[in-house]
Amino acid sequence: MNLRVIVFVPLLCGSSLADDPDPAAGKPAGEIRYSLSLTEEGSFAAGLSVPGADAGNLLLLEPSFAWKYADWLRFSTSLAGLAETQGETHEQARVRETYAGFTAGDLDLTAGKRILRWGAGYAFTATGVLDPPRVATDPTDRLNLNQGREMGEADWVAGKQDFTVVWASAGLLDKRPAGARDTTAFRYGVMAGGFDASAIVSHDSGGTTLAGLNFTRVLGDAVEIHGELAWREQAAILLGCKYTLRSGFSAIAEFYTPPDTAYYRPAGMPASAGRQHYGFWRLGKAPLRQLPGWKEWDVTASLVSNLDDGSRIGVFDAGRRVGNRFYAYLHAQTPGGKPGRSEFGAIPYSALVSIGVIFHM
Amino acid sequence: MSNKLLWLLAGCACGACAASLSDAGAQALLEKSDLQRNGWSSYVGRVKITNFESGKADEEHLYRVSQKGADKTHVEFLSPREKGSFLLMLGDDMWVYLPDTSRPVRITPLERLTGDASNGDVARTNYAYDYDAVYLRREKCGDTDCHVLELTARRKASTYHKIEYWLRVADARPVKAEFYLTSGKHIKSAIFDEYRPVAGTTRLTRMTLYDQIRKQSHSVLEFYDFQPRELPDKLFHQGRLDRF
Repeated sequence: MNLRVIVFVPLLCGSSLADDPDPAAGKPAGEIRYSLSLTEEGSFAAGLSVPGADAGNLLLLEPSFAWKYADWLRFSTSLAGLAETQGETHEQARVRETYAGFTAGDLDLTAGKRILRWGAGYAFTATGVLDPPRVATDPTDRLNLNQGREMGEADWVAGKQDFTVVWASAGLLDKRPAGARDTTAFRYGVMAGGFDASAIVSHDSGGTTLAGLNFTRVLGDAVEIHGELAWREQAAILLGCKYTLRSGFSAIAEFYTPPDTAYYRPAGMPASAGRQHYGFWRLGKAPLRQLPGWKEWDVTASLVSNLDDGSRIGVFDAGRRVGNRFYAYLHAQTPGGKPGRSEFGAIPYSALVSIGVIFHM
Repeated sequence: MSNKLLWLLAGCACGACAASLSDAGAQALLEKSDLQRNGWSSYVGRVKITNFESGKADEEHLYRVSQKGADKTHVEFLSPREKGSFLLMLGDDMWVYLPDTSRPVRITPLERLTGDASNGDVARTNYAYDYDAVYLRREKCGDTDCHVLELTARRKASTYHKIEYWLRVADARPVKAEFYLTSGKHIKSAIFDEYRPVAGTTRLTRMTLYDQIRKQSHSVLEFYDFQPRELPDKLFHQGRLDRF
């Protein structure tokens, strides 16, 4: 379908309807949410070690639309249209999510393409069996380009417990990566003793089975701890903590070791490399804090390191709100490590800087 | 014992008795005042916050607030730049859902939104649940006779460590407040500007927060479309935080 049709039809529909028109008590009513963001980003690479363009441009249009009726029927869609220039210009339309849901009492049924995140980790995950790929250098998916999986989901809430069963397709309408399999997964979540904990079991059709646990817990005013333990042929372990300073900054540290199997091995890493261990550190302004004097700013610095080969990549993000609808940002990352002989040392540039502006509607 | 001494002892006894009654009744007074801010056990409404810098409107935030009981609050962020974000408070436990993380993220009490107006100013308005009250004195607040209470946080998720709270003697209506950090620093003051009849009760519809650190900043909070509504418990489940 033409990119412009995909992007603008839902927008026009959304714009013609009022936002939450009737919140009157007790009356069943439809409610609508819609949003649009337009991002323009320029990127510049330094120290390229492979032939290619050292500058690029990205234009990104992201509309979203959601509707619900009387708390029992809902529809949601989130799209992305990209025009990427790096020497040549390529256009692409992505359906990030499009799903419909039906609620009967405490039971929710959902069908469609949806992003689910079950992992508790910030930069890594061991139990996020249906999560979009977690990229430690961009754990928040800063451009919102992740796509969900086609799935059917049943979700039942009983007090502080919830039970979820999901069947996710390897790809019905979507093209999935080679080797993708249908996944059936079950999750039990419970809030007990301050622990927000989940037990997860999943099975890939014709493939392997995973069993895992994850938790988060807040200790006192400033500390949050989280962890994940999973078994898929071998053990995967993630331990992390977050400490919030009174100044409004928060620091996150994570340790992760995935199984030494083909399923978890990063692309390009030889099997002989053995089990890998990773560290992640991040210092940044807590997203909800408005620090006196610079409440318009967001600033974070993070470092991801492969602890086995000593390679690392530093990432710096700074952003500033301009008025109610504009946001300007800078994203920079610089890898380090033995070229060609380490995970992050193999990245073919010495620095990458992106500067962009986002308009929100 | 002389008559003078007897009268003195009797006076002291009555004074002590009155003071202790006042302290015991302070919490009840606080509960009564809460009814003028959130008079229903389950309700929805909207809050618009306009931040002012040096008297000029600087930024607007819009929230939809759903509250059930004293300890369950669900806040949906509706401003253009924040759309798709949600905050859930269940007693002392808090989660935030940001579109870029696509999952509910557990936050610590220190990570709560703070600034000109904090999300505690929007979401935690049951002071009787969050604070212990002590009766301080009775005094004139402008032309209004007021009780003055000192509120001390009883929960780690309470927005402020200490509040000095002026309530109108006639009906315990909040008139003004001063907010303090654990360090004792006076960070904000509030004037409860406007009350209006809403769905058969009188509710706070506008308050102004004055920043005591950056004196040129203040925020106006407008409360509107507030209605009693039966809300299902599952709305306050962290696993469903991404649904409006």
